[in-house]
Amino acid sequence: MTDTQSGPMGAGVSIAHGMVDPEVEDPRLGPTAMSLRDVSVTFNGRTAVRDVTFDVPANKVTALIGPSGSGKTTLLRSLNRLHDLTKGARVSGQILLGDTDIYNGGIPTTVLRSRIGMVFQRPNPFPTMSIYDNVVSGLRFNGVKKKAILDEAAESALNAAALFDEIKDRMKAHASTLSGGQQQRLCIARALAVEPEVLLMDEPTSALDPISTKKIEELMVDLKKRVTIIIVTHNMQQAARASDVTAFLLMGEDGAGEQIEVDATLKLFSQPSDPRTLDYIQGRFG
Amino acid sequence: MSASPDLLDPVDTLIRDHLRERAQATLKRRQFVSGLMTFLCWTAIAIAAVPLIMILFELFKKGLPYVTSWAFYTQLPQQPTLFDQSHLGGISNSLIGSLAIIGYSCLVAVPLGIGIGIYMAENDTKPAQIMRTVIATMVGAPSILMGLFAFGFIVEQLHVGFSILAGSFALGVMMLPVLASATELAVRNVPPTLREAGLALGAKPSTTSLKIVLPAAITGIVTGCILAISRAVGETAPVLLVIGGTVSAITYLPSQPGNALPYQIYQDVISNYDSQKNQSWGIALFLVIVIFILSLSARIWAARKQKVRR
Repeated sequence: MTDTQSGPMGAGVSIAHGMVDPEVEDPRLGPTAMSLRDVSVTFNGRTAVRDVTFDVPANKVTALIGPSGSGKTTLLRSLNRLHDLTKGARVSGQILLGDTDIYNGGIPTTVLRSRIGMVFQRPNPFPTMSIYDNVVSGLRFNGVKKKAILDEAAESALNAAALFDEIKDRMKAHASTLSGGQQQRLCIARALAVEPEVLLMDEPTSALDPISTKKIEELMVDLKKRVTIIIVTHNMQQAARASDVTAFLLMGEDGAGEQIEVDATLKLFSQPSDPRTLDYIQGRFG
Repeated sequence: MSASPDLLDPVDTLIRDHLRERAQATLKRRQFVSGLMTFLCWTAIAIAAVPLIMILFELFKKGLPYVTSWAFYTQLPQQPTLFDQSHLGGISNSLIGSLAIIGYSCLVAVPLGIGIGIYMAENDTKPAQIMRTVIATMVGAPSILMGLFAFGFIVEQLHVGFSILAGSFALGVMMLPVLASATELAVRNVPPTLREAGLALGAKPSTTSLKIVLPAAITGIVTGCILAISRAVGETAPVLLVIGGTVSAITYLPSQPGNALPYQIYQDVISNYDSQKNQSWGIALFLVIVIFILSLSARIWAARKQKVRR
């Protein structure tokens, strides 16, 4: 592997080299789950993200990386229309989920958000609910009442989030009795229970210790079979370890986040085509 | 953490030595100021606490014999005569009357106040802002104003007359702003990420408010309710104006005139008989105990809920 020796690796960034030749197996060749076309987000006329265009491959992990203020989270939150809550926020361009335009395609936000789940920066289980109630809350909100269905969904989602064995004896306990890492996996299970096609993760490990972080990273690799994952991360090692495709964003002259480079993770971290990407992954800024 | 001295820059060393010298030089003065401030704080606490303790002492000394007697709660008040001042009866009618007045006012004010509070917390529209101003003004309005309003509206305009309904109305209007602002605060204190989590699961905004935000805010809301009630129980002025104050019977229907604990205190105090004047201490002590229990239970409940949360 010539590119591993000559490749400009960032400080501490390591990928399992030699297993996949990035030239041969581009993870983006398969079916596409979501497409972003010239997506811009403005808050009261001030642009936070400008003209982002890339495809999110299905059943892969796509990482959004970039320094603070580069608009990663803003972009992520436009994908499940969470900006609808913010006064003065406007999303332009086109975002497709499959063939459906999520802003202009007539799909109700409630339906959209049950197809695109989200995990937040800090674990946010519903504090008044038990572990079980947390997991099935999404289904209950969407009108599912049958206990058999809820039970099955809960077990399946908790298993998928690698939490079931740890908590199966105390499903009725308060969610707040779990550790931070367990709470975050509970939030992942809660998002998975409604069977979304895409799972958005907004720096899901930034509030967790290294061991919990490792568990969640491993989990993401398993979850790919089930959902398409889009993850925002500050942590380049995390992007390198866990993602298939990486999009690098950077704050432009006027403070708006711009897309610098989108590529297969292996390629982006070993042979970035833009010098700014190289600077970033080598830790020269951000 | 600290680097060994030889690793420090000479300038750093200079600054460090200077700081240490200063700290040493001013140590005595700082210790003195600290001691003085602690003394002043304790003095302030003592000044504030002494009258309070005196009031409580007097209250218990004069009120305890009444509060500990069963007849005090079960008998109707009796008018003492010049020949026999000892037959005072009890406070059964004002006890029932107070319960009825508070009960009826809660029936309307609690759901309405909570509703207004939620609305104000979740909306930043013009109407919500106006509502907030109105509520803030109402919190500070003198309670006699509510009595006057109930008098003009219920007693006279609607021809209900002096009644428990009018009292409930006055107290309800008084409780409303307290409930609304407590609810607003409690709902605003729910982390926005919980609401987002609900919406991100595909829940409707209304479902999110009802099933996630409200349960998370319930501690604050219930505490607000209890505090509003304990305030209303002892409220005198508006009740005095509109409930009539029967002495001969137990009444509890909205249309009936009735009696209430603070009203009975007032009647006792203006009485010509010393024995009846003294009874007012018993009712006052009873009220204080009720309010104490209410606010204590609010605190304990909130603390326990908070513990579960963590």
